[in-house]
Amino acid sequence: MRKKRLLFIPLMIALMLTFNTIAYADDVPYDTYNYDSWGDIVYTPAAYVPEKHLSGADLGIGNFVTPQDFYVTDDGYIYVADTGNNRIVVTTKDWKLVKVIDQFMNDGKKDGFKSPSGIYVTKDKRVYIADTDNNRVVALKDDGSLYQIISNPKSEVLADNFVFTPQKVTVDYANRVYVIAKGMFQGIMAFDETGNFTSFSGTINVQITTLEKIWRKFSTKAQRSRQSLFIPTEFTGIDVDSDGFVFATNVDNEGTQAVRRLNPKGQDVIDKNDKYKLGGDLIFRLMGDYSGASHISDIVVREKGIYSVVDSTRGRIFTYDHEGNLLYIFGGLGSQMGTFKMPTAIEKIDDNIAVLDSTNAEVLTFSETEYGKLINEAVGLRYDGDETKAVEKWKQVLKLDSNYELAYVGIGKSYLAAGKNKLAMKYLKLGMNKEYYSIAFKRYRNDILKDNLGYILTGVVVIIAGYSVVSRVKKHKREEQN
Amino acid sequence: MSKEKLLYPFYILTHPMDGFYEVRHREKGSVPLSLLILLLFSISFSINKRYAGFVVNDINPLSVNSFQDFKGIFALFFLFCVANWSITCLVEGEGRLKDIVTVVGYATLPLVLAYIPATLFSQIIAENEEAFYYLVLGIAIAWFLLLIFIGIMTVHNFTFGKMIGTLICTFIAMLIIIFIILLIMTLIQQVYTFFESIYTELLFRV
Repeated sequence: MRKKRLLFIPLMIALMLTFNTIAYADDVPYDTYNYDSWGDIVYTPAAYVPEKHLSGADLGIGNFVTPQDFYVTDDGYIYVADTGNNRIVVTTKDWKLVKVIDQFMNDGKKDGFKSPSGIYVTKDKRVYIADTDNNRVVALKDDGSLYQIISNPKSEVLADNFVFTPQKVTVDYANRVYVIAKGMFQGIMAFDETGNFTSFSGTINVQITTLEKIWRKFSTKAQRSRQSLFIPTEFTGIDVDSDGFVFATNVDNEGTQAVRRLNPKGQDVIDKNDKYKLGGDLIFRLMGDYSGASHISDIVVREKGIYSVVDSTRGRIFTYDHEGNLLYIFGGLGSQMGTFKMPTAIEKIDDNIAVLDSTNAEVLTFSETEYGKLINEAVGLRYDGDETKAVEKWKQVLKLDSNYELAYVGIGKSYLAAGKNKLAMKYLKLGMNKEYYSIAFKRYRNDILKDNLGYILTGVVVIIAGYSVVSRVKKHKREEQN
Repeated sequence: MSKEKLLYPFYILTHPMDGFYEVRHREKGSVPLSLLILLLFSISFSINKRYAGFVVNDINPLSVNSFQDFKGIFALFFLFCVANWSITCLVEGEGRLKDIVTVVGYATLPLVLAYIPATLFSQIIAENEEAFYYLVLGIAIAWFLLLIFIGIMTVHNFTFGKMIGTLICTFIAMLIIIFIILLIMTLIQQVYTFFESIYTELLFRV
């Protein structure tokens, strides 16, 4: 009997070792953390781990030179805008070369690209290329023939000496083309399907602080002319979701809002969250290395309202859900395997996330861990309105990371819906959600009042009766004394 | 301490004019009692920070340090009393330092009386009902300020205008005191580092 038990112990240990597959921070070459409700940093398990580096040399076509953008189609083809080599490289998702596009027939003549720095591929495989130094956007059909060229836009709102220098391009389901152009501070340029300029989308208003206003008031005209201009921030990256809403990232030196979701009228309709804002890091150094607010350089819209943005200041990838909750953070700058030098664009390949590094001239892919997968699934279930199913996932998330506030809120909400108010209160408090906690608390309070209404009313009646009896007795005594 | 003296702060709550007059002229006040009330205030302040209901509590429980609160409140208290005393001495205020300490200490009584019940009350409120909680605290703070104003005015036998003027001067004096303390601290530090460097120099050379 005893011997059998002794045999059992090493078996248990072996089992325990094999099940330990969660990636913690020391397994990846970067910090993985999140912010809690107090705005403090909380370290978390890694949601994504680096998978592989994919370079041009691996394809046998020579290294990329400062590639600026790439696009991954839903059926798994990767289009890289190899800016420095003036070509577009098409590969499969397994990184096998399909073709290199470096020229096309334009009016019977051969034509090429000059620093193409933005690329987008539509569902029917039309390739839109922001041909930056040729000042045009070129759209090619799948067979490589020319579909459309957008150049030299004309409009009353554009200055006569305006030079169209497209940098990033995206196309929505109605073939409207959205272009981020250099030095164009009025917003994203929108073109109709025939390539005519229609309007600006997502104009960002200039923000002037009161102090700056006062300062300007006291300065002379000559001084004012030499002060820096108050110009709106620039857009950096662009993507479009399945509903045709354009997601764009912009430079925000305050770190308050670096992501915008633009409706067809060009208004920002993104769901913001006071807690997390939408600007990447909440805590950052003001001076020195790696200082300043996150410089969000690109965005990828993923399924179920989740979107990820990449920050080139500290090389981090921030993932938000449709309510603006910060789900997880990973990635970092460095020269180790799995880190970036200059991340410029982000895309998704199935469940993986791919980031284009322009200095290293390669694509770095990340695969999701158990932890990241559970969060993605739970958020997806919540997005579909299936909160009860999400609870199971949230419980598993909590096993891996007991500090994950969203999981507590998710569980709390489902208990609330099930009428378990006391439990809901506990979880919503742990998730620091005052709004839903209050709802649960009000119901709980009402229940207690209802259950004890008999006692409370009896108590009140007894007190009133007792008081009147005592006062009558006193009165009686006084009268007797008199 | 007599029972009358112990209960006197409660009498002052509702009769500040008469109450503080008797503190000044009939020795009805007590400095230890005033400090005790202030201590109770510091405790109830920390309790409120730590145990106020989830809905109204915006303070990270990890950041609550009752000893820190205690030190802060007492430092501010003595700073105000000393500054007020030094200003009112110059403009013929009749109050002694003892009276000022008593006035300020007794004036915090409404805060003690409000913070604890408000903390209890905050346990049973939900969102949109916080107004009652903040109303209780607001009334207590208004009462506290009123008591300080009346108390300072009464013990020094000031008119209203003179009291406001001296209060403004008191705040300036508080800033000057802080400035001088900081100045002395840095000076001492410099002198200390000077002697320290002489000492280390000697260690190396002799």
